[in-house]
Amino acid sequence: MTLHFILFLMVIIVASKIDIAVPGFSMRNLFRFPDVWATFAWIASWFNILLAIMVIVLVGNEFSFRTFRQQVINGLSINDLVIGKGIIIFFIALYSLLLVFVLGSVFGIIFSHNFELADLFSKSYLLAVYFIQAAGYMIIGMLFAIIFRNNSLSIIMFLLYFIFIEPIIRRFFSPEVRQFFPVKIISHLTPPPEVLAIASEKTMENSVGTTNFDFESIGLIPHQLPLSVTLLLAIGFIALFVFLIFQIMRKRDL
Amino acid sequence: MNEILSIQNLSKNYGRIKAVDDLSFTVERGTVYGILGPNGSGKTTTLSVITGVLHPAKGSYRWFGNKPGKRERKRIGSLVETPNFYPYLTLFQNLQIAARIKNVQEEDINRVLGVTDLLRRKHSKYDTLSLGMKQRLSFASVLLGDPEVLVLDEPANGLDPEGIAEVRRVIMSERDKGKTIIIASHILDEVEKVCTHVGILKMGKLITSGLVDKLLVMDRVLTLSAPDNTKLKEILEKSGLVKNIKEDVDCITATILSETEPGEINKYVIEKGITLTRLEVNKPTLESQFLELVREQN
Repeated sequence: MTLHFILFLMVIIVASKIDIAVPGFSMRNLFRFPDVWATFAWIASWFNILLAIMVIVLVGNEFSFRTFRQQVINGLSINDLVIGKGIIIFFIALYSLLLVFVLGSVFGIIFSHNFELADLFSKSYLLAVYFIQAAGYMIIGMLFAIIFRNNSLSIIMFLLYFIFIEPIIRRFFSPEVRQFFPVKIISHLTPPPEVLAIASEKTMENSVGTTNFDFESIGLIPHQLPLSVTLLLAIGFIALFVFLIFQIMRKRDL
Repeated sequence: MNEILSIQNLSKNYGRIKAVDDLSFTVERGTVYGILGPNGSGKTTTLSVITGVLHPAKGSYRWFGNKPGKRERKRIGSLVETPNFYPYLTLFQNLQIAARIKNVQEEDINRVLGVTDLLRRKHSKYDTLSLGMKQRLSFASVLLGDPEVLVLDEPANGLDPEGIAEVRRVIMSERDKGKTIIIASHILDEVEKVCTHVGILKMGKLITSGLVDKLLVMDRVLTLSAPDNTKLKEILEKSGLVKNIKEDVDCITATILSETEPGEINKYVIEKGITLTRLEVNKPTLESQFLELVREQN
């Protein structure tokens, strides 16, 4: 948790110092309201794997210390165990959300010279999206921990799945189908801030043509489903994983 | 409602190995039921099923006449297999978790730590404990909230002689309070000393069950030797004090009848002019007792 906080703080401080000298484009725009929400949600999403690993360790320890077993013996039901871990995931996601909110506000206030309240809130729904994404990563982590019941094996399989297994499986499908895979869906909840959108208006006027340029068609930005669809699918996947967690826990012996 | 636990046709297998095979028995209120059996006979599996951690493959069990659930488990103090606690928490914190699950007042933690002689280590981390102390902590956790039923799996495991005596004393005082206790053990002596009823398991099957007094009448085995073993054997055969007399390489073994004292035998042979060079009284091992029981069954 502390590690997560320190890493996140370091990255945003470093990032805020970088100012790429592209004519007419300033990195500082990334830290102004309302774009700061998109930027911070995106940066925070790099650390979701860390949160997921934390959950894997929390759940895996319950198996290796046999404390899940002991708690059932003492009088908890399987549902109690799963719900207990669900509550922990909720609070970790809430903590990340608050972290992004507080730091986002601080940096937004520092970097925005003058802003209106409407600016502040216009993209703040991205925070909720980030919350769901963080919870999604952690629930996938919990699913892995419950399947493998061993910390190191679960972490390795979790990382392998994210980095290799699913991308390789995706290759076998057409591009239309590829975008519906769970990791793809959940990791695309917080896309990187679009470079064009954040360029200042003055620049856009100066460099005519770029505004209408279709980045998607030249493959610079991969084709993406609209955020609302991605969000719905992500929630669907999360619900499916939660269902699987309950089923596996109920069927298997402790 | 005198029936505390009833098990009907319970089976549980690990792959192709049948750990528990069509097991049925009932435990009445206020009895101390010993489940006796060698390693791998299904004792722990049976206890794991009735404490809710394993799903039975076939059959069912009832606690207090009800379908088992978490409400029933909260009324039972159980120690199954190894002690399971969070190593990075202190004894007190570990018991706090158990107390909250069982809806027991936290004041009770000091009492159970006192009973198991762990008060001094109350704020030590669990992983700094020795094996025997861990076992005693599990025992403390079992006693938490003064449950009406205790389920104990090898409670004397890993304890020093003093610890074994201590655990036995606590079990007996719980028994005298009218608690129902279910103990699994492979130590015949332990079962004989504390249990009222016993069920003997072998390969997951209940070979026999009943009152300890009737089932485990233990014939003591004597090992004797004298300068002239052949003569000794003749005299013993005529004495009517022993049976099953066998001559071994350098000694004679015989089963002493329950009403006879070993001293009487010594006195008898001296009267006949033989001085014993060796006289040992042994309790039969569990193994030989088993063999006998199995033989009786057939």
